Amino acid sequence: MARTESAVVVRAEHLTKRWGSTVALHDASFTVERGVTGLVGANGAGKTTLLGMVLGLHRPEGGTIEVLGQDPWTFGPRVRAKVGYAPEHDALPPDMTAHDVVRHLAEVHGLPHRAATERASDVLFEVGLGEERFRQVGTFSTGQRQRVKLAQAIAHDPELVLLDEPTNGLDPVQREEMLHLIRRVGHDLHIDVVLSSHLLEEVERVSDAVVILDGGQVVASGRLAELRGADVGELVVHLDGPGDALVARLQAAGIAAAAEGERVVVGLEGPVVYDVVRDALADLGLGLRRMEPRISSLEDVFLAAGTLSS
Amino acid sequence: MSSAPGTGHIYDGGYRHYDGPRLGPSSAVRSVMKQTVQRVMGLRRPARSKVLPFLSVIMAYLPALVFVGVVALLPKQVNDGFLPDYAEYYGFITMAIVLFVLFAAPEALCPDRRSRVLSLYLAAPLTRGTYLLAKAMAVASVLLLVTLGPPLLLLIGRGLQGVGPDGPVGFLVIFVRIAGSGVVMALFYTAVSMAVSSLTDRRAFAAGGTLLAIIGTSIVAGVLVNAMKLSDAWYLANLNVPPLELVGRIYGVRGGLPEVGTVWVALAVAGWTAGGFAVAFWRYARLRVTR
Repeated sequence: MARTESAVVVRAEHLTKRWGSTVALHDASFTVERGVTGLVGANGAGKTTLLGMVLGLHRPEGGTIEVLGQDPWTFGPRVRAKVGYAPEHDALPPDMTAHDVVRHLAEVHGLPHRAATERASDVLFEVGLGEERFRQVGTFSTGQRQRVKLAQAIAHDPELVLLDEPTNGLDPVQREEMLHLIRRVGHDLHIDVVLSSHLLEEVERVSDAVVILDGGQVVASGRLAELRGADVGELVVHLDGPGDALVARLQAAGIAAAAEGERVVVGLEGPVVYDVVRDALADLGLGLRRMEPRISSLEDVFLAAGTLSS
Repeated sequence: MSSAPGTGHIYDGGYRHYDGPRLGPSSAVRSVMKQTVQRVMGLRRPARSKVLPFLSVIMAYLPALVFVGVVALLPKQVNDGFLPDYAEYYGFITMAIVLFVLFAAPEALCPDRRSRVLSLYLAAPLTRGTYLLAKAMAVASVLLLVTLGPPLLLLIGRGLQGVGPDGPVGFLVIFVRIAGSGVVMALFYTAVSMAVSSLTDRRAFAAGGTLLAIIGTSIVAGVLVNAMKLSDAWYLANLNVPPLELVGRIYGVRGGLPEVGTVWVALAVAGWTAGGFAVAFWRYARLRVTR
């Protein structure tokens, strides 16, 4: 099966879905491109419904959705053969071994028995459960079960993998490891990932792009770098004293600058600015704590979109 | 997996991309079916999971083994007329079949919903329909073990006794009758027990519910016929009656309902079977996953 070459993995246009009187998705339009995409929103924002629609499990009431170039509602089995999915909730039979579960699900996704057996071991090693793979899933910790869910989602070598809240119930160390694994899946194994989470900070750390949902609506979507304006073109200089002298000096040199207490925000018009700042600091004898390009966090984007209700 | 010299790769970690063949939904159905049969039979599972399936299999085959053994060991004049005919044999093993029915479908359906592995199956190249098809085929094939195997064993026994079928045509006729009866029984009980099992995700409730359905319908049918003086055909509402009666007709015997036409018996079996599957499909069509 040839891998889809298109840069667009999921394309949704004016997608609408209701559950009874509850609007789960309303006029949602966005594209998911290659790489790792975070699907962010508070609980009940429509993330899981959206993943269900990507899998072709729910029929859109309005609008269209295309996954790997096909309509998942019409071509469900064909699309799902190329997609891996790890749900938010526990979804593993407790009385089977991790290896049996992963092998069986790989077979269900179309792999012949022998390939499924080999790959079950491979992916369980990949997620760090190589030694435990013949233990029953019921004896596993929450962290280990999350890893088995990830393993079964990638065992059939999908083109796209959907991870619904994969860090739920994990302690900080396990979360770190899970995020590392997800980054590895997306960047080293080249499987496109859609990662849903209500935790901004974790999405920010592993994703290339985000789709932000609130109350079933897409409030922002796009590359992370563009959304948070990585190239806002400003340099923040942290000093150990008032920055007014530095500001005056820089303005005299024709560089935009403004003091915010002990911080000075400098317009970054070119690499030469760094030299000017350095020389100015040296001449004025000011102590420099640190210097960094100004990056707005995803949280700023979120706040700007007025969604950070929780 | 071997590479030509100079084109080898050193793989990082355990993960490799897969470029081998990918089989379609029919393979998914086969895999679920195989997995379910193993699960119901307790294979690849702890010893306690094997007790019930093997107990019912032994209960189903033991009478046939005894009959065949007696026939094979004792002289003909002693055991003349000793063997039951095929339709009668189901009377000996009703308990085994019911026992099997009580745990096969609950074991096949309930744990998938309780552990929510169903949401992983439906995220695979299966649909609710093909998933249930796989489950139904698994339950039916397990039930065939007790509805089809023992009469076949009996066929061998009768052959030994010299009262087996005459010639290839006779053999074919009896073989078709045995196969038809086995399939009718298996499908009937698969449908009924899957319908009950689709209503709960607890195995014990599903098994109890199936038993209640079998006992309850026999009470209802008894009341309808005896107390309300309705026709004997209402006995077909009793879940025990239609499959056994139809099996009798397949062998050309009119059983407990001699004045009810074979068409009605066949319709009752078909109705219960279709109705049972319809309930299961209806339930699964309305199940909520991934929302």
